[in-house]
Amino acid sequence: MISNESIKFEVFQLVSQLIDNKSLVVTADTPLIGEGSILDSMKLVELCLSLEDKASDMGFEFDWTYDVAMSRTRSMFRSAGSLASEFIFQMDSKK
Amino acid sequence: MIVVTGASKGLGRAVCERLMEKNINVFGLARNVEKLPFASMSCDVSSYENIKAVVKHLKKEGVQVEGLVNAAGIASMNLAVTTPQIVAQKIINTNLLGTIYCCQLISPMMLRHKQGSIINFSTIAVALGLKGESIYAASKAGVEGFTRSFAREMADFNVRVNCIAPGPIDTSLLSGITVNQINKIVSQQIIPKQFKPDSVADLVELLLDSRSNSLSGQVLHVGGV
Repeated sequence: MISNESIKFEVFQLVSQLIDNKSLVVTADTPLIGEGSILDSMKLVELCLSLEDKASDMGFEFDWTYDVAMSRTRSMFRSAGSLASEFIFQMDSKK
Repeated sequence: MIVVTGASKGLGRAVCERLMEKNINVFGLARNVEKLPFASMSCDVSSYENIKAVVKHLKKEGVQVEGLVNAAGIASMNLAVTTPQIVAQKIINTNLLGTIYCCQLISPMMLRHKQGSIINFSTIAVALGLKGESIYAASKAGVEGFTRSFAREMADFNVRVNCIAPGPIDTSLLSGITVNQINKIVSQQIIPKQFKPDSVADLVELLLDSRSNSLSGQVLHVGGV
């Protein structure tokens, strides 16, 4: 059984792999959309596809297409932490 | 595999049959898929949830989607002022939102492999501003605008997006139009003749093929305008 903390770490790692500035440390507060975002829209799509693959390996389907996905205030992409939390939430609710 | 919407009749059906002739795997979507001679699934393209269910099914089957042909569409020939609100909504929901939803939800299956071709459908009514087709033309003008922008969004992923804008092709969509009206529209084309569904299938085949890998974000008018 993988702990939520290690899943969070893996999500942060996926984000890290996509950023050009390798010295940047991805934390829960790192924004993924909007002001200060470290990913462009293309990288964000790549991140979504990576998360789909990861979810598939873990036996569930990760859905990044629902209606609040890109909302600035409620989006799962507002920060690396919120994305990791959503990933864990979907994993728990779809098992 | 190529996903084709509006697969049960008209241009969508003609496209499916052509692809089958060429031994290309087809997955047809239509509201009624009874007795279709190819893999298919019932789907109303104006329903986001319906399309999500299709994507879920395709993923479960491990299908690699290489192309999407958005041929589903409805028409209502009427003056805007005499078109009921519910009909106007239905036209926009099916023609414009249906195309957008399919592109949104099915294209990620192509992005993953950094390869694909998407073909949307417009109409000659947009370029000619045809009387009695204002709402239909508005829905398709939206498709053209969407195609141009979406093509840029997809370019980084090597997915091409184009649009075919036919004149009055001989399908059931023309059932409410008189021969005189058809002739009047056809006479405004650069090549003034009524084309068959086969001509559209030819273009679809070309746009799906790598021979057209220099084309994206284009609106191709069958017959020319």
